[in-house]
Amino acid sequence: MKAQDVLSYSFSAIKLRKLRAGLTTLGVVIGIAAIVALLSITQGLQAAITDQLKTGFATDTLIVSAGGGFGGFGAGAQGGAGATNSGFKLLVNYTQMINNLTNVETSMAIIQRVGRIEFNQTVQNVTIVGVDFAEYASIYSSTFVAENGTIPTNPENEMIVVGKRVSAPWNNDTLFCSVNDTVEMSWTNATTIPPINETYPGKVTAVLKEIGGFGIIGPSDSDVYIPISQAQSFFGTEECNSIIVKLANDDQATIDNATQAIKAAFSNEVSVTSATAVLSILSNVFSVIQLFLGGIAAISLLVAGIGIMNIMIVSLMERTREIGILKALGMKGQTVLLIFLCESVIIGLIGGAIGIGSGWVLANVVALVFRGGGGVFGGNRTANTGGMTITPLLTPTVTILALVFGVGVSAIFALYPAWRASKLKPVEALRYE
Amino acid sequence: MDEEAEMAPATTIVEAVNLKKTYMLGKVPVNALDRVNLKVESGDFLAVLGPSGSGKSTLLNLIGALDKPTEGKLLIEGVDVSTLNDDQLADLRRRIGFVFQFFNLIPRFTARENVELSMAIAGFGKAERRKHAEDLLETVGLRERMNHRPTELSGGEQQRVAIARALSNNPKFLLMDEPTGNIDSKAAGEIIGLIKRLNEEKAVTIIMVTHDQRLAGQAKRIVQMLDGLIVQEVVN
Repeated sequence: MKAQDVLSYSFSAIKLRKLRAGLTTLGVVIGIAAIVALLSITQGLQAAITDQLKTGFATDTLIVSAGGGFGGFGAGAQGGAGATNSGFKLLVNYTQMINNLTNVETSMAIIQRVGRIEFNQTVQNVTIVGVDFAEYASIYSSTFVAENGTIPTNPENEMIVVGKRVSAPWNNDTLFCSVNDTVEMSWTNATTIPPINETYPGKVTAVLKEIGGFGIIGPSDSDVYIPISQAQSFFGTEECNSIIVKLANDDQATIDNATQAIKAAFSNEVSVTSATAVLSILSNVFSVIQLFLGGIAAISLLVAGIGIMNIMIVSLMERTREIGILKALGMKGQTVLLIFLCESVIIGLIGGAIGIGSGWVLANVVALVFRGGGGVFGGNRTANTGGMTITPLLTPTVTILALVFGVGVSAIFALYPAWRASKLKPVEALRYE
Repeated sequence: MDEEAEMAPATTIVEAVNLKKTYMLGKVPVNALDRVNLKVESGDFLAVLGPSGSGKSTLLNLIGALDKPTEGKLLIEGVDVSTLNDDQLADLRRRIGFVFQFFNLIPRFTARENVELSMAIAGFGKAERRKHAEDLLETVGLRERMNHRPTELSGGEQQRVAIARALSNNPKFLLMDEPTGNIDSKAAGEIIGLIKRLNEEKAVTIIMVTHDQRLAGQAKRIVQMLDGLIVQEVVN
């Protein structure tokens, strides 16, 4: 029997039981749609986060922070005070030591504290970051760029640079502050009892252009930058949160060698995180999430598969006599098998195709709800994440995998009924009522 | 072609040698066929008569390669059927034209599609099958009804479709199981005429089980069966 005849025979059998075939297909549709929706949202989320991280991302930088062992995520820029059990402290002037290592072009210390900035009776909670303006601008040359005003290379103590969202927190024309405004900088020093509010007047010399990212690595829209020397005196410390190291290039060998050299220089009391390592950790985390979500969705497909098996067995019972006729007319067992498999694969294909389509629609609807609600990733100003939007991502790999998975499950679960049909004895099948 | 068939020397198409088929009825073995010997030659028209349970259908199933004998041999054109595997049996069945008492048409297919089905199974292309199916339906006088489904056809018409289907792969012989057993007597008369015409004009070899005395009367040979044995053979 020719392939197209097998196909059209299977089709005619499906058409005979439209409702039943439709419901079976629906099972596959739900399974595939769940997989596609979950995976495309996760992948979209991953892409969005990676994209944000890469904004102004310098691949040739290392972040050194106190604390041996953990090269933890975010330990660099937003880590705590930096004291470790051993009492090791990462000091601002350690940069000189790092600068002498091979492959290191330059390095700079960062001191940061949670603080407040007040102007016209309005207060914003911000992160106050002490950096060397000139060095910072050279390492993050694409993001630490002024939109208004200029970033001073030899700043005076009261000069500050603010991120875009500090200047325009409400996403409209109303500005919190702009260049040449004098704002009150403050932070709560809790090392004394009772805690005291330290303040000083800061003069806005530049507003950064919008960066977008989370600011986990590098400049952020929601930070306020002050000169490192001012930070030392304002925060009353020589200890820095992290040291950003700019390497000669971003070869993996350079990154590895410099990492080892820095660790050795501080007797393993520091952790060194490369920007690329952060990305790879992130991508690992997402792989696990995807596997988990995909696994949950796969269970629904498994249920659909059992549905297919059920319907094929019922169909086998109903069509025993028909199979007897086909065999009496000279159809081979393997052709009978093929017809049954084909019916199931058609259901799997149609279900898979509709499932991919509806999964994609579902993912977009979910993304739209996220955007509209805004509470999770956007809108919440104090979260200061920079209003990220998720665009569901349907990669060809996911599409093909979903289709293969749908068809595969259909075929596998139809295998047993199809095999039984192919083994029916013609005499007995013809006698079947 | 008719003349050729008449002039060709008669060859043995089916030969049963000590054919035995035993079924287990619970734990009791029952001999449905008990050492049956039979020979059918090309151009023959054989009717097998006998009461229910005499082994007619069992004999027919064995000749049709639908079943295998317990003992003895069944030769079709000299080939021992019990030596064939399932695929070879399937190939053999394509060249045997089955006509059943209950027609056994596929309900969702039209008359023409039913006739085409056996040719599709044999691997013929669409255009070829269609033309041949129409010719065959013409032969059985159903050309104008070819796009009707079995439920829209009378019993006699359905049986004629079944006969057209049986003829479609140029069979070695037609195997009929009570072909008039389920249709009214007027339609049965037409079927009998058709069968006789096929045998006489087209030299189609026919092996038939029947209760219908009228139909049996048209056969060239009549074999009477009882309790799994051939008890009488009459040549008309």
